[in-house]
Amino acid sequence: MRYVYQALTLLGGRRAQRVMGAGTLAGLAATVAVGLFVVPPDAEQGDVQRLMYVHVPAAWVAYLSFGVVFIASIAYLKTGRVQWDRVASASAEIGVQFCALTIVLGALWGRPVWGTWWTWDPRLTTTAVLLLIYVGYVSLRSVADNPVRRARWSAVVGIVGFIDVPIVHMSVVWWRSLHQEATVLRPGAPTIAGSMLAALVLGFVAFSLAYGYLLAVRMRVGRLEDRSALPVSELSTARARRPRPLDAPAPTVDVRHA
Amino acid sequence: MRDVGYVVAGYAVTLAMLGAYRWRLAVRTRRARRYLSTATGRTGPATGRTGAGWR
Repeated sequence: MRYVYQALTLLGGRRAQRVMGAGTLAGLAATVAVGLFVVPPDAEQGDVQRLMYVHVPAAWVAYLSFGVVFIASIAYLKTGRVQWDRVASASAEIGVQFCALTIVLGALWGRPVWGTWWTWDPRLTTTAVLLLIYVGYVSLRSVADNPVRRARWSAVVGIVGFIDVPIVHMSVVWWRSLHQEATVLRPGAPTIAGSMLAALVLGFVAFSLAYGYLLAVRMRVGRLEDRSALPVSELSTARARRPRPLDAPAPTVDVRHA
Repeated sequence: MRDVGYVVAGYAVTLAMLGAYRWRLAVRTRRARRYLSTATGRTGPATGRTGAGWR
């Protein structure tokens, strides 16, 4: 856990954020270029299959985000450190965006291939439930006014809600589904052509970078908003602030909820 | 050919979502900084210069 803490500290730095931001832009540009113009169309579905290069990475980032919420929620309940709550909150918000994007992209893909925007298929239904769980998580955070209670309640929801992620992933195996089975995140070798797999991996990298970048920025926003929520009397004002002597060690901030 | 419209719409929605969320985060950052600057009486950014999100 200490190493995760150190890695997050590193990623929170402004230089790391700039690098990730530039990497995200380059990765997304490459994904769009490769997905639209380089990879050949699918033999059966034609051009519409190109949606796979954004639909599947979006779903992956949604899984990743909710996985991070799960881990950070456990870490918060174990340590009481407010930073873990901030990670969970940031990751859930990003996960909701990507989960909604996955559903929209799936609808755009489903219309020409299945002939419908939406059907109550096990994969689609469990994904919609997943989205609702984390929309509830984000809403819960805005309802609870006590920061400690808010962090505890949302940590419990973040842990319990994650149960739906493996259900979503395995739904195409467990139940008869219109949705195709996993082609990459499955036991054994991926059942996909090499060039398509390369484009998909590029999408995974670009979207994962986007996730890392957005997480770092969102955590900075979370810290600022947490400070904004404090009573003005608890904020150190310019007049009250005393300059720290040059030889004094930098203050270590280790905020824990009681 | 009609299918290309779905593909273009999908990629456009993806980029628009990412851009809109990043813009929204920038607005929230600016708003919180402005509030903290006013509340603490500091003229510069109130906090969050280095390693800000995590520590």
